[in-house]
Amino acid sequence: MTSVVSSSPLPATRARGHSRRRRRASTGWRGLAYIAPAMLLVLVFFVLPVLLTVWMSLHNWPLMGAQKWIGLKNYTRLLSDARFLQALNFTAFYTLVVTIAIFAVAFPLALFVEKQRRFVGFYRTVIFLPVVVGLATASLLWAWLANVDSGFFSPLLRLLGLVDRSPNLLARFDTAFLTIIVMVVWKIAGFTMILLLTGLQAIPAELDEAARIDGARRFQRFRHLTLPLMRRTIALALIVSITGSILAFDQFYIMTSGGPQNRMISVVYYIFNQSFVSFNLGYGAALSIVLLAILVVISIAQLKLLKIGEERP
Amino acid sequence: MTVIKTLLAATSLAALMLAQPASADTINMWVRTGIGDSFKEVVKAYNAGHDDKVQLTEVPYTELVQKYATAIAGGQAPDALSMDLIYTPAFAAAGQLEDLTDWAKSLPYFNSLSPSHVRLGTYQDRLYGLPLSVETSVFAWNKNLYRKAGLDPEKAPATWEEITANAQKIRALGDDTYGFYFSGGGCGGCMIFTFTPLVWGAGADILSADGKTATLDTPEMRKAVDIYRTMIKKDLVPAIAASDNGANFLSFTNGRIGQQSLGAFAIGTLVTQHPEIDFGVTLIPGVNGKPSSFAGGDNLVVTKGTPRIEEVKTFIQYIYSMDGQKIMAKYGSLPTRGDIADEVLKGLDPRMAVGLKAISVAKTPYTLQFNDLINSNNGPWAAFITAALFGDDVDGAFKTAQEDMQSIIDSGQ
Repeated sequence: MTSVVSSSPLPATRARGHSRRRRRASTGWRGLAYIAPAMLLVLVFFVLPVLLTVWMSLHNWPLMGAQKWIGLKNYTRLLSDARFLQALNFTAFYTLVVTIAIFAVAFPLALFVEKQRRFVGFYRTVIFLPVVVGLATASLLWAWLANVDSGFFSPLLRLLGLVDRSPNLLARFDTAFLTIIVMVVWKIAGFTMILLLTGLQAIPAELDEAARIDGARRFQRFRHLTLPLMRRTIALALIVSITGSILAFDQFYIMTSGGPQNRMISVVYYIFNQSFVSFNLGYGAALSIVLLAILVVISIAQLKLLKIGEERP
Repeated sequence: MTVIKTLLAATSLAALMLAQPASADTINMWVRTGIGDSFKEVVKAYNAGHDDKVQLTEVPYTELVQKYATAIAGGQAPDALSMDLIYTPAFAAAGQLEDLTDWAKSLPYFNSLSPSHVRLGTYQDRLYGLPLSVETSVFAWNKNLYRKAGLDPEKAPATWEEITANAQKIRALGDDTYGFYFSGGGCGGCMIFTFTPLVWGAGADILSADGKTATLDTPEMRKAVDIYRTMIKKDLVPAIAASDNGANFLSFTNGRIGQQSLGAFAIGTLVTQHPEIDFGVTLIPGVNGKPSSFAGGDNLVVTKGTPRIEEVKTFIQYIYSMDGQKIMAKYGSLPTRGDIADEVLKGLDPRMAVGLKAISVAKTPYTLQFNDLINSNNGPWAAFITAALFGDDVDGAFKTAQEDMQSIIDSGQ
């Protein structure tokens, strides 16, 4: 009896364990099958090109003619390349300024269009409209707006009597930089606003109400309720904005051709110049790999700082 | 069933089209912008009189080289193109151009083709580029504005002191009238063409003869920079000059610019499209009065392996015919065939002859790094121009540019 009792559950558990293992294995394969198309896309359009870029970066690879293996020479050259460091510097400066500017505009806008008020749909649409304009198109438009003779801003300043004669906004670093920042904010802020808006709308109204009943003032509610609950959204918006700014190219290429005295050469612009003006595809590839590494590090740092991915809801 | 039938029909139709004899072919050609209309017009005339057609694509001149190089790498290159002659050696050295030596030497007039073009079209004793258009830089002044300012419209200025003084008088005419213009905002190509003659005339140069040393910082260049700076400071130059990357190079055609250094191509454009502008042409004076000029222009090169090489050759022969040469000259390209040059220019605007005369005092820099050093919008030469002419620190501009140029030259060897 005891032997029967003791022996009977054993095979059952073994069998159950077996089938569970089998089921786990089969769901594993099914899962893989589900993500296979996405993995294939990532493989073909991201992993393979990156590997090819790494391979190119180890060569002296001219645009035309034969390539030659040179090992890590492109990378050692990069360490002492003053123009690359200058481009990094400028890109960091631009990213900092433009990100702050975008958030300073987008956050109030998001708060503004979150509340149900009259014409809110209209406001949202108008603010979002520039986002659907291509960046190159927007750059061309603004290059014309900023033109000293046939443009809009300079003659306007003159008409208003603020200046004696039309200033050439794109000829000086400060004014050209300001023009580009304003253009990018005009173009991008709507997108950041939409991201932040979704975060705002995800906050349950009851929480706000409860805080209000407890006597929290408007700023206190924003600081201790809204901001902490929006951490994930802010992280997303921040990463999108910073990555986009680090990869900036069109506006500098189109509006200022690299700016007065080459002071507006971003990293991507420099990579473009090395690859397609100087025809050093190999060196351009090495620069791209370094830029990729920098972006990965910055994104990880941001996630860590905003403590995303550590706790599960 | 019907689907298959349609498919079959379509493929056989395609096969038929492919099998047709190449009686009316289309040659794809590229031309850079900013060299006037001469090539466009000669293509128009050719298309009107021949079964073969030339399809022309205009490419912004600052991007032609990289676009062509990427097109070759991607297998999308045109059959032939009009290429700034300075780049011919680099593309020939990379093995991307068709060798035209034997055919070209069989042309009866081969020996009278523009020698500097042929020299730059030759790489290791083989010929890869043939002269297509010749142009030199010259100095133009607006006679109407001269008259209004009380200056003698027939007297060509011979020194920069004179040019500056005239510019001041013209500027005094009104708000929108300026004494002088140049594309200084990062257009290295414009400035090597119009500004270096100031130092060449005085015997200096920006590169050593072998192209291995940058010799930017000379007393002559300092003086040239000073002349332009003075004119900018006196407000004789429109503000757009500081950010003009070449798009406004032909500002002279708007009739409100008193004086400007231009190319022979622009003379053609002015004569044919802006007859309302009464202008004179002379050589560009050097800083101490002795004139000089930049001899440039385009070579016609053929992409290696093109199936339409015979058609391209027929087209080239048309360009070299009397008809072709006359059309080219009418729109501002100086004759590429020396043996018939006088006859080609006969009956044309006498101002074209000044462009021809400039050849005798003209220079062409020879360096394989021309794009990196000079023409690139972000090269040291373009940066030097903006910094030295519009910046506050002239010494710094000289120092930086001299170092940058040398480091590019060194890294290329």
